Amino acid sequence: MAKGKWLLLPLALTLIFAIKPYYGGEINIRLNEPASFNLNTANYSNLIFYSLIYENFFYLKKDGEIFSNVFQEYRYIAASKTLNLILKDNLSFSDGKPLTSKNIQVSLKIFMGLDLFAASKLNKTVKNIRASDNQVGIELLADTPDILSLLTAPELVVLAENEQSFSGLFYPQEWEKNHHLMLKANPFYAGGRSYLDKIRITFAENPLPDIFLSNPNQFKDNFREFDSGIYQNIYLCFLQGDIGQNTKIALFTLLKRFNEATGFKYRELHTLTADEESPVSIRIKTLSPQKTASILKSSDIKLYILASLSNLEKDLTAFLKSSNFKIETLFIDDSQFMAFLNSAAIQYVLIDKIFQKKVPAEEKISRILKESSFNQFNARTLRMLSELDEVKFSNSQELLMEQIARISEAIINDGFIFPLFQKNYSLYISKEWPALEIDYYGRPLLQKTGKNND
Amino acid sequence: MKKVICSLLLLFLYCGNAFGQQSAEALIAESAAFLDEFFKNRFDIRVAVIRFENDSELSDTAMQKIYQMLVSRLENGKNILVSDLLVNFADGRGEFNLSRVDDLHYLLDLKLIQNKSKTGLGLTIFSRLQDKIVAVKYFEEALSKGEMELLNARNFAFSELGFSKLLEFESKKNLMDIQSITGDDGQEQYFFYYPDEIVVYLAREMRLEKSFQIKLEWTRPVYPVLHYEGKLLLLPTGQGLVLTAGNNFSPAAKVMAFHDGQWQEIQKIDFVPCKYLILNQNPYLVGGRYEEGKNYFKDKIYFMPFSDPANRSGIYEKKITPAMALDFSIREGQLQGVHLIDRSYNYHLFTSEFEEKIPSPEKRGASLAALGGEWLAVSDYSRTSDQLFFYDIQNGGQRPVYTGKISGEIQFVSAGVWQKIRGFWTGVWQKRGDPERFVVQFWGKRNG
Repeated sequence: MAKGKWLLLPLALTLIFAIKPYYGGEINIRLNEPASFNLNTANYSNLIFYSLIYENFFYLKKDGEIFSNVFQEYRYIAASKTLNLILKDNLSFSDGKPLTSKNIQVSLKIFMGLDLFAASKLNKTVKNIRASDNQVGIELLADTPDILSLLTAPELVVLAENEQSFSGLFYPQEWEKNHHLMLKANPFYAGGRSYLDKIRITFAENPLPDIFLSNPNQFKDNFREFDSGIYQNIYLCFLQGDIGQNTKIALFTLLKRFNEATGFKYRELHTLTADEESPVSIRIKTLSPQKTASILKSSDIKLYILASLSNLEKDLTAFLKSSNFKIETLFIDDSQFMAFLNSAAIQYVLIDKIFQKKVPAEEKISRILKESSFNQFNARTLRMLSELDEVKFSNSQELLMEQIARISEAIINDGFIFPLFQKNYSLYISKEWPALEIDYYGRPLLQKTGKNND
Repeated sequence: MKKVICSLLLLFLYCGNAFGQQSAEALIAESAAFLDEFFKNRFDIRVAVIRFENDSELSDTAMQKIYQMLVSRLENGKNILVSDLLVNFADGRGEFNLSRVDDLHYLLDLKLIQNKSKTGLGLTIFSRLQDKIVAVKYFEEALSKGEMELLNARNFAFSELGFSKLLEFESKKNLMDIQSITGDDGQEQYFFYYPDEIVVYLAREMRLEKSFQIKLEWTRPVYPVLHYEGKLLLLPTGQGLVLTAGNNFSPAAKVMAFHDGQWQEIQKIDFVPCKYLILNQNPYLVGGRYEEGKNYFKDKIYFMPFSDPANRSGIYEKKITPAMALDFSIREGQLQGVHLIDRSYNYHLFTSEFEEKIPSPEKRGASLAALGGEWLAVSDYSRTSDQLFFYDIQNGGQRPVYTGKISGEIQFVSAGVWQKIRGFWTGVWQKRGDPERFVVQFWGKRNG
């Protein structure tokens, strides 16, 4: 963005609400369709979606400041090693049911049971959680003055006993499967009701909504572009142990050539997470076109591809067809993949993982191990995960990097996953909504987004 | 209740005359001085301008300013009772409400004339009782081109004559309203309405001293808000002082009375009382209901009989436009009009019969208050800096009289009294400084 435009932005923000703000209106966001309203922040789309209907215990501002809409006071008492959280008065869930200290206690316990580093670290730090009146006391095993920072995890949200009650800025009002989801402003939202009345979440590509993710450097005329901090990694996985190394490298080489032939739409990826943060760089030497051809010419390959990569279908199918190899591409829905894996002897699969830059590298490595090792997951994998977990608590960055490097090498040497490409995403926000910003985790901040008074 | 005394830091600001209108003001001063002298030995003289024509290159706006300056000067005269009958200026001529001429002793005819170098004001005094012209006088001053342009501009600020900022001090944020009442000892008590408490101050010379506070406990449902809005009303009744406090985060307004040495909630009302008035010789509370958690009133006005504070039966309602701001002009207890700013930031005036007058095409900034049936203050629809517009509404119209610049965003305007001067309180949010400040200002006519 030109320097002049950057200068205009703060000016617009300071002037936008010089008069009484307008309440009302609707904004459109394109996201992936969620499976349910039960909290699941496994990917960026979900991270945004669930941030709209569930309220975080604490928020981390870009400048490092921590704040809460739910608690009127929070104080760490070193003498008793206790963090006291005092709820604001008269809070309610979206259906008007009281939001109590018991809800906070239960929500915290549910979070601590999640398979996340932040959750397991908290689990190992907390001795006891007490709820009384409007207060929650979190007793710690050791003096941990920075306990509050552990409570800023985006997955730590306020949950109700009833599945139809929501603590977030909005609550689901209408869901037309495969088409759209309508969220309505929560009149009891602890941070103060949003200016917007509704959010329409669409799942279709067109027409362009007000907020969506897409490739960088597009839509300059009508949209503001933000670095979403989101990237998509694509990996080639070999799910059976009897695949020859030459075949693996040949298929890997062929897919690299596909990227070259289609104009390098993806960045080369030399690590399991991101080249900038990884302690190791994985260099898999590609083969010459002749050698690739000689290896693959007699192969009969069924390449399964997750539906989340369906945008590749047209180009990849055409490329493989032109190469005259007997390689069939089969797209399979992400949600059905694990079930399909049990009933068919899948050998080759192209998968993707979407990551947020802000998520620690160890969290990403852990996710890859758990979610992408498929039938290769074994006792050794489990041990590597446990070791990673232990190292995380050592608070030694050096040891942590060593462990990440060890896991990366082991995975590559085992030959079940090869990193291929990476694609960055920008978040586009329509210029119709000039005051809209994004937070530390790349989530759009919609509470104070309103219709332009002009 | 334990009396807590603490002083607020008050900053008294008397605005300077910095508008470069010296020659025009001199012209008015000479005219006013002549009239003062003319009426010097007479008492309770009822006077009004009933004609004002313009033969100069000054605009209707400039004429209106000159007229207003003269009227404001005359209002200072102790023996003169000035009636402001002006309805409008158009096409170089003033339009006056002549239905009240029979009550007057003297009628004034003004004419603005321009020669090559100077601008003159012709003044004719007509005695209605003698049925003849009793004085003719002509004054002139050299009005520079710049001063003429300034007069012609749409700016009604006359710091020395009109509304000016008489008081400013910093307050805790989220202040929603200020009301005052004169105590039995003649001392003015000021009630500052915050979301969680009402703080009562006493005026000590030119300071406010905290006297006591009333903690407000709200019960579910409570709708958390981004912007606090609320109205406080003080009602001296036969059973003592009663107050009502309503807002946009609780659907129930509190009615509280002072019993057994403390303020107690005596009932709840499901609308926000704004004013107390007399209809068909019966006392009523009138108000609206905020859209829950939002910053505007719904589309109904509620009237509740209020002879017994503990009784809330007999409420009736009138349909109206949803309003960002709402107030009622009341004269001698009777409803004169309903003033509101709609959700598109347009001003509307409804008569006491709830018939709408033609809405103003200009957008306004969604805060307003009526001072009796005389003045209306409205904030500006501005993005850079705010300002207050003051209108004369005495004759049922809406005539701009003064403007005052405000540094910050006006959060609320309410009618009030400071040091026996009637005017308007404003709550102003100043965000551009570090730290942000919430400032309270009082705007009044220094000449009373």
